[in-house]
Amino acid sequence: MKRTSFLVLGLSALALGLAGCARPGDQISAALGDPHQGAEIVTRQACGSCHEIPGHQNADGLVGPPLGHLAERSTIAGVLPNTAPDLVLWLRSPQKVVPGNGMPDMGLTERQAEDVAAYLYTLE
Amino acid sequence: MSLSMPARLWLAWLAGLVTAGALGGAGAIVLIYSGLYDTTASTPHVPPVAWAAHTTMRYSTRRRAAQVTAPDHFTAAQVQTGLQEYDEHCVACHGGPATSRAPFAAAMTPTPPYLLDAARKWSPAELYWIVDHGVKMTAMPAWGETEPQDHIWDIVAFLEAMPKMAPADYLRLKAAEHAEPSGNGAPGAGDAAGR
Repeated sequence: MKRTSFLVLGLSALALGLAGCARPGDQISAALGDPHQGAEIVTRQACGSCHEIPGHQNADGLVGPPLGHLAERSTIAGVLPNTAPDLVLWLRSPQKVVPGNGMPDMGLTERQAEDVAAYLYTLE
Repeated sequence: MSLSMPARLWLAWLAGLVTAGALGGAGAIVLIYSGLYDTTASTPHVPPVAWAAHTTMRYSTRRRAAQVTAPDHFTAAQVQTGLQEYDEHCVACHGGPATSRAPFAAAMTPTPPYLLDAARKWSPAELYWIVDHGVKMTAMPAWGETEPQDHIWDIVAFLEAMPKMAPADYLRLKAAEHAEPSGNGAPGAGDAAGR
């Protein structure tokens, strides 16, 4: 299972490399987690009811910030530097990072948060 | 038109149409009885099905909500009672400001949305219609079957107010609500909450 996912990651990284015009977040994404899995978690967690997510079905919420070009943003929630570990931290416990903000703790596991981060970093 | 087109061409066209219809019908029967279509909630809808279901629901709601007359405004008491109703019946599936849904909500397909943006996407009459009548194949109950009409309007009142509520205010009102039944709640708040 793990071996297969590494193989998939390797192959997709290779494919992206071959494509030659990788998007800003692609390299971080591939190393971080599985963007496809992340996209499914984003659907399951209903992120799109509060966030606009380009290319994601019915993700047209205007409650939180739009998530397009997330990889190019400088900060997360205005308080964390936009690094992969900080994005994972934010996704796992937004109420700990900014108590009282609108985004609830959704109980994501580390692995799930990494997959979601990997997906979010592919958004344009 | 029919005069300029030879009869044989018409017949061929008709035969093609009938064949396409028959093939489509046979395909649908095979899809249903073969068990090939995946109805599990552990897999996502394929995008065309998700689109068709959601779009059908939107237009169906829009059409039927036209017969509902929404009040001009909602009172603070309605919002307060609506919050209580929401806390009791809705929050497990739909969450709230800074409040997550119950873990099982993420296991549902389609997954119930957070509703902080609902008032922007739906009119009060449409929200009333959805809460009152529910939505087929989504697990959204027809609350009008178990709740009185004024409770449904109270929930709509709260849905209209929720987007303008700071998460802290929502949590404070919710906590006040829970403190209430144990006796001497804040003066005045009892009128709004008690029914």
